[in-house]
Amino acid sequence: MSATDETSALASSGQWSWRIVANHVAILAGLLGAWEIGARTGFLDPLFFPRPTDILAGFWRLYVTQGNIWDHLGLTVAEVLTGFVAGSVLGIGLALLVGMSDRLRRYLKPYVIISEATPRIAIGPVIIAAFGFGWTSKVAIVMLVCFFAPFVNTLNGMVNVDENEMDMMRSMRASKWQIFRKLMLPDALPEILGGLRLAMASALGGALVAEFIASNAGLGVLINQYTGVLNMASAFVCVLTLTVLGFFIFRGMEALDHWIVFWSDRRRTEQVSRRRARAWSERMEKRT
Amino acid sequence: MKRLTRAALLGVAAIVAMPAAAQDLTTVNAIMPKQRSANYFPLIVGEALGYFEEEGVKVNLLPSDTPIPFVNFLRNGQADIAMMDSAEVLQAVAAGVPVNVVYEVMQTAPDGIAISAESDFKDVSELKGETVGLVSDRDRVTMQIALDARDLTEDDVTMVVVGEAGPTLAAAFRDQTVAAIAGSGPDWLAIQANGIAIDLITPSEVSAKPGNVFVALDDAVEGKSERLEGYLRAWAKGMYVATIAPDVVAEIARTTVPEEWEDPTFGQQYLENAIRLNVSVTENAGDLQTETWSSIQPAMMKFGLIEETADPSGFLEPKFIGPANDWSKDEVAAEVEAWRAANM
Repeated sequence: MSATDETSALASSGQWSWRIVANHVAILAGLLGAWEIGARTGFLDPLFFPRPTDILAGFWRLYVTQGNIWDHLGLTVAEVLTGFVAGSVLGIGLALLVGMSDRLRRYLKPYVIISEATPRIAIGPVIIAAFGFGWTSKVAIVMLVCFFAPFVNTLNGMVNVDENEMDMMRSMRASKWQIFRKLMLPDALPEILGGLRLAMASALGGALVAEFIASNAGLGVLINQYTGVLNMASAFVCVLTLTVLGFFIFRGMEALDHWIVFWSDRRRTEQVSRRRARAWSERMEKRT
Repeated sequence: MKRLTRAALLGVAAIVAMPAAAQDLTTVNAIMPKQRSANYFPLIVGEALGYFEEEGVKVNLLPSDTPIPFVNFLRNGQADIAMMDSAEVLQAVAAGVPVNVVYEVMQTAPDGIAISAESDFKDVSELKGETVGLVSDRDRVTMQIALDARDLTEDDVTMVVVGEAGPTLAAAFRDQTVAAIAGSGPDWLAIQANGIAIDLITPSEVSAKPGNVFVALDDAVEGKSERLEGYLRAWAKGMYVATIAPDVVAEIARTTVPEEWEDPTFGQQYLENAIRLNVSVTENAGDLQTETWSSIQPAMMKFGLIEETADPSGFLEPKFIGPANDWSKDEVAAEVEAWRAANM
């Protein structure tokens, strides 16, 4: 049996996934063990690397006994999601408009580039001064962070449509709306979703910047409070919470990508084709 | 039946009146450098004991680490009152902003020069030729004044910003990467509470200035005087509680800011330092020290913070000090005992 055959056999039997999980757990346990030993023996500076066991105790404290992380987490997630949706809708919407008009593209492009080139950390205080200390300014910062990637990717997708396909659509007297709906948008979708993934990855950073500058609550505030009093184990709990949150958000976006842009994956394409074919034949059967 | 009807009516009246009372509260937008913290315990104590509510005031705290000067938030109307340090006040005055110092929150500056307890240096005069640290660039003037008090100048040392982040600052002390560090009380406290011993070598010239003061613009002083009076009175009462019942203040801080009390020893030390800084040294709480404001200006002028001195009578507004102190200490003591009985 070749290695490939063995892999296929393992995959089909379900043993493969268990082996992968076991390997991941072993690697993680090894890393954490080395970290714990390093921190206990003084090899790792406890000011910067608290013991994993202390961090674990911190998770229990912040999530269960004190339970003080929940409100902060909820606020940060709400800022991230609202800013992401607003920034992405604005970015994609504007790119769709700009993608349809050369003139609009010519005039808008420099402003978009300027907005991207301006460092967020520098513009954050100005946004807070303009929008106030409340929720709006935090969302505005996240929105600004989330605007550019969907905008650029959508525009790229719209502009780089296959010329032959475009000619074919035109030769068939397709309307502008039909060209947009049947050709440009489906062609641009993989890039749009790529842009959304990038935006989501940046959204957490944007929310943290906003909370570091001025906020009464949020994980950024909590991290500041804990590092200020050198409670590094609790600060790590907040940072790891953000890491896990970022990971799940990213995987969520990947799943969305996989579901919407099914044609980028052969197996999914076959699945969808089979489903459509079945639906089609059922419809035909009903007709006859 | 009559009793039942009366009780029901009273209940309905109370339910109707409660939201109405809550709606009657006037919001005071206060911009300060930190979130609710033991460091500014008069606020959390005043809120816990209901002093702000009694004054018809609801505090909307605007905690900010923004580099934009707080005075700009007074000018654009987002804040009614701002907590600023003496240098910021004098710079605003020099810029022609109609600021008024209405209450001195911390009457001695928390700023200081600290060294590792294991350091060979014992005085600022020994720092010549050494590299010294600043917690942030705002502490440059603290170091300049300290050096000047020992006939040294900025050119005699190399100044580097070591950063506000707790771990970085602690490492700088522990590893003695710099000879001394200019910063403020809360910075040292976090480090000491974590087992890193430090000594203070602050010349008296550095701390002889107001640390943090409440500032309002002319418009607010005239147009919002009632709510500012209420705010300052509640603040003064909250401050007074620490002098008669520090354990009650500790309990309130523990509940309001659990993040500062995960290590109870640290929490207690942090609070004690805050009490030392926040409790007024003048007879009247928050009183304005005209002479101090005059005496700090030459040094600030010398180090380029301001270009000319300003007459303190032009920016010190004493009209709130009387009303802020117009309350009964016995009543506060009784309220504190009642709170203790109910909550501790």
